[in-house]
Amino acid sequence: MTFDPSSLTLTDPTQVWLEVSDLVRSQAWQRSQACSHPSSRWNAYLNQVCLQTILPWLREEHAGKALAVPSFTALPSIWEFINGTGVAWDNVRLVLIPTETIDLSELRVPQEWVDIPDWVADYYFGVQVDPDLESIRIWGYATHEQLKQNGSYDPQDRSYCLDEAHVIQNLSVLWVGRQLGIAETTRRTVPALPAISLAQVENLIPRLGNPEAISPRLAVPFQLWGTLISHGGWRQKLYHHRLGHDEQWSVLEWLQTGVSEAARQMGWGQSTWQPAMAAARGTTQFFPEVLLSRHMIIAQQQYELRVMPRTGGVWRFELRHATGDRIPAGFTLRLLTEDLQAFEGNEDTASQAVECLFVEVSLAPGEGLVWEIEPTPINYDREILRF
Amino acid sequence: MRPRQGITEIFSTFLQFDADRFRAWVSDPHLRRSMQARLAQSPQMEAAESYWVLYWYKLWQTQPESLAKAHLSAYLQEVCYWTAHKTSASFTSSQYTLSDCFQMAIARLDKVLKGFNPQLGYGFKNYASAIFSSVLKDLLRQQQEVDISTNWSLLRRLSQKRLVESLQNAGLGVEIINRYVLAWNCFKTLYVPTHPTGTRQLPKPESETWEAIAKLYNQERITQLHPAGTESNAQAIEKWLTACAKAARSYLYPSFVSINAPKPGQESGEFLDDLGGFEQDNYLNEMIAAEEQTKQQSRQTQMQAVLAAAIAKLDSQAQTIMQLYYGQGLTQQQIAKTIDTKQYTVSRRLTRARENILLALAKWSQETLHITLTSEVLNNINTVLEEWLQVHYRRPSSLMESTS
Repeated sequence: MTFDPSSLTLTDPTQVWLEVSDLVRSQAWQRSQACSHPSSRWNAYLNQVCLQTILPWLREEHAGKALAVPSFTALPSIWEFINGTGVAWDNVRLVLIPTETIDLSELRVPQEWVDIPDWVADYYFGVQVDPDLESIRIWGYATHEQLKQNGSYDPQDRSYCLDEAHVIQNLSVLWVGRQLGIAETTRRTVPALPAISLAQVENLIPRLGNPEAISPRLAVPFQLWGTLISHGGWRQKLYHHRLGHDEQWSVLEWLQTGVSEAARQMGWGQSTWQPAMAAARGTTQFFPEVLLSRHMIIAQQQYELRVMPRTGGVWRFELRHATGDRIPAGFTLRLLTEDLQAFEGNEDTASQAVECLFVEVSLAPGEGLVWEIEPTPINYDREILRF
Repeated sequence: MRPRQGITEIFSTFLQFDADRFRAWVSDPHLRRSMQARLAQSPQMEAAESYWVLYWYKLWQTQPESLAKAHLSAYLQEVCYWTAHKTSASFTSSQYTLSDCFQMAIARLDKVLKGFNPQLGYGFKNYASAIFSSVLKDLLRQQQEVDISTNWSLLRRLSQKRLVESLQNAGLGVEIINRYVLAWNCFKTLYVPTHPTGTRQLPKPESETWEAIAKLYNQERITQLHPAGTESNAQAIEKWLTACAKAARSYLYPSFVSINAPKPGQESGEFLDDLGGFEQDNYLNEMIAAEEQTKQQSRQTQMQAVLAAAIAKLDSQAQTIMQLYYGQGLTQQQIAKTIDTKQYTVSRRLTRARENILLALAKWSQETLHITLTSEVLNNINTVLEEWLQVHYRRPSSLMESTS
């Protein structure tokens, strides 16, 4: 029996059907090849198709500022392990949950999207993806609150399952509800996940990073897993470990042999230091030829984070406006240890508009640092710079 | 089909099919007596169909086990018939007959009852028709997908909930179901399409894949299954999964719905004859229903006006598309050709137009009916909006509430 296109007329005309172009499909397939296992590759593919199709529609119809979160480049490190794609605009967050199922009996959301505080979203969209058809269908949505209230938790695959009866099967309800300013609680507060020690992480990464471990997300207790995976730096490390890549975030290596591909994708690059500028500031220290810089957008403005070595194991982190404007008051540049501990002199806050924020820190070889900026840059995902 | 005569018949008879055609209205004696007894008490309500809808609906809300549900099922026979007729006619390749479609739809009466909200001013029949239609379309679409999928594709494309229901339906016990579900999860993890398309025609996995699935199963069962059960092997796993696919196929076929479907003349035995408790529930219920009926009638008139006003505010292209879609019943594809645009543009314009109308109706409900708007209420209005639009564009219609 062949496929009857008339079945398309059987679809609910009030639901959102979006065309998946050949271009999106072939790009999605290409972009989802960097995975350790066919099942994560397939997961990445379905999520790519979803994101590349839904994001343009969302921008056009409902939210011009919608972005993938944490970022296009960070998403493969999530899809290696977990189904689902984050999207955000203003203060709204949603998670797309692709499914291949023919029946739509339930919305099944991996626990990570529900119980990791930083990952909690307002809305969860069920997206039916039929790889053989040139369209996807957003078949319904639920809020975090509804998932917690009416969903059942399945410990076997660690997911929250919401019966179709509780899924609102039409997105118009969401958009019209927002236009009307219906004040409904969308998110429930979830408890913070416990901190884990560096020693634990160093033990977990080789273990879960072994590609033979097919479902690392189910291999250790959720709290441990959740903490590990919600830290962008550790997640990247685990992901690259599974792919058999060497350390991608070694700053020394970046300076010697160029910035790694993974870091380049995150926006890191080398620039050349202008000695004349340095002299003009009256500094007499040794300056290297190159420094590392990462561009980012904070509050609709371009900024640049710079990392440069000084003498004696000291490193300088600088934040500047990309076009030379001043940094407004209230901005903070902060450095944390790999396991997110503060230390003395780890931050610089602009109490008034300043030209540059900087922190200088003395580091032992092999030590890792995480940087943070407030307000949070667009597409921020924690990363661990290794020195 | 012969229209039913009189309130008693409308609330106490069921459609009978002869092969695939209407044969007769079969009267259910319990329901007939129940209806006659109530009519004897309120003879002035002899002609007020919408009053009795609300009466039984209110009774169902407080006493879901009473005869109310059966009365409402009787009442919705025509709506269900016409919805089934329309759907099966537009879907020629289906192996389902009209009576299958009818049975599948009426089996979802609970969904209608649970979702209906009399406060919102739309008719019970409108709402039922919207629900029946979406339920049927979805079932037929699923069925077609199942038919063209190989077992291995089907297994990859079942929800866990549906799989578990299928296995329960096949009469398997909890422990076996848990084992099968774990094996199925291992299968889904390890048997993954390697091409972006062709996912409906996945061949049987190779023997090394079965070995890998069995290996994973044997690892996972220790932590996932309680009790962990015995070791399994590739042959056993393949057998289990074949059984899963078979169970899922037979569960998706209509035979399952007939279990729930009311059969005229047989089902009333399951209901308690509630004539004994009739006196107590009657007075209050009657008052509420009468009051509601008056309110509802005026709401329906007002709502139609709000709807018409909202439509009039749409831009001219949106109005044209709406007219073609709801008035002339063109598909989105046909509309795209007619006005020389892409199908998805038509779909988006329709969605946007509907959202504007939904917004207007919701605002009106809030301001005039003083209804607190929630997503649930919006969802409710939205469900019936589709029916309202069809009624609006296609008067007179068999789906129109006869008393509104």
